[in-house]
Amino acid sequence: MAVHAEHHGPPIANQSSRVNASVLGMFLFIASEIMLFGAFFTAYFFVRVVAGTPWPTPPFHLPVFVAGINTAILVTSSFTMHWALQSVKRGNRRGLQAGLLLTFLMGLVFLLTQAREYSRVGFAPHDGAFGTVFYTLTGLHGAHVFVGLSILLFMTIRAFRGHFSPEHHHGVEIGGIYWHFVDVMWIVVYTTVYIL
Amino acid sequence: MLNPLRSEGEAFRFLLATVVYFAAIAIAAAAGGRWVGLGVFVCLTLAAAWLWLRGRRVRP
Repeated sequence: MAVHAEHHGPPIANQSSRVNASVLGMFLFIASEIMLFGAFFTAYFFVRVVAGTPWPTPPFHLPVFVAGINTAILVTSSFTMHWALQSVKRGNRRGLQAGLLLTFLMGLVFLLTQAREYSRVGFAPHDGAFGTVFYTLTGLHGAHVFVGLSILLFMTIRAFRGHFSPEHHHGVEIGGIYWHFVDVMWIVVYTTVYIL
Repeated sequence: MLNPLRSEGEAFRFLLATVVYFAAIAIAAAAGGRWVGLGVFVCLTLAAAWLWLRGRRVRP
């Protein structure tokens, strides 16, 4: 009775004891993303394996080397992201700021290189099924990098304003999970589209 | 067992595992051809599935 008398506002939301609500939200979001990418990879599979479209379709060539450098940049950005979180857990504010800033800059370099690659690759989305699948898969991933960069920008600004601490850094944790997911998806896209 | 959605640390380790997985498939396909690449893909996928199932059984 005393508890009811002290509580104001709507009732406290029921929450699973096993999974934090924000982690569950990220789980559902990434699950929907996997289904979205899965749909595009299914199109890729049908174009390349079932229809037997040559990959890349002559006379076009894929810039494997430049994309490889870009891959190295993106994977390195995951290391700096991880470093940023480890730093805030140890109370190293400079490490957090430097890690987030480096991650943002490397993500930006990746996206700008991708845009430059589009302008020089020599084919367009309407140049057959190969061009369509190439641009949709890499473009979908690029859109995710853009979203990740937006999240990273807010995280970096907050870090420089002193918003995170060893006890309160959930924003960095969730953003980090998303950034690593974007990197994992790029590894899949790069291997299937450029290498194999 | 890794659950990349539980924490950033596990997501990072999952990324490293993904890099090793796809690098092994790509190297095998480049060195030995399409069928060797497919064989490595099947072996690694089965190994990953086995590790995942074993991890689920061990978890209390």
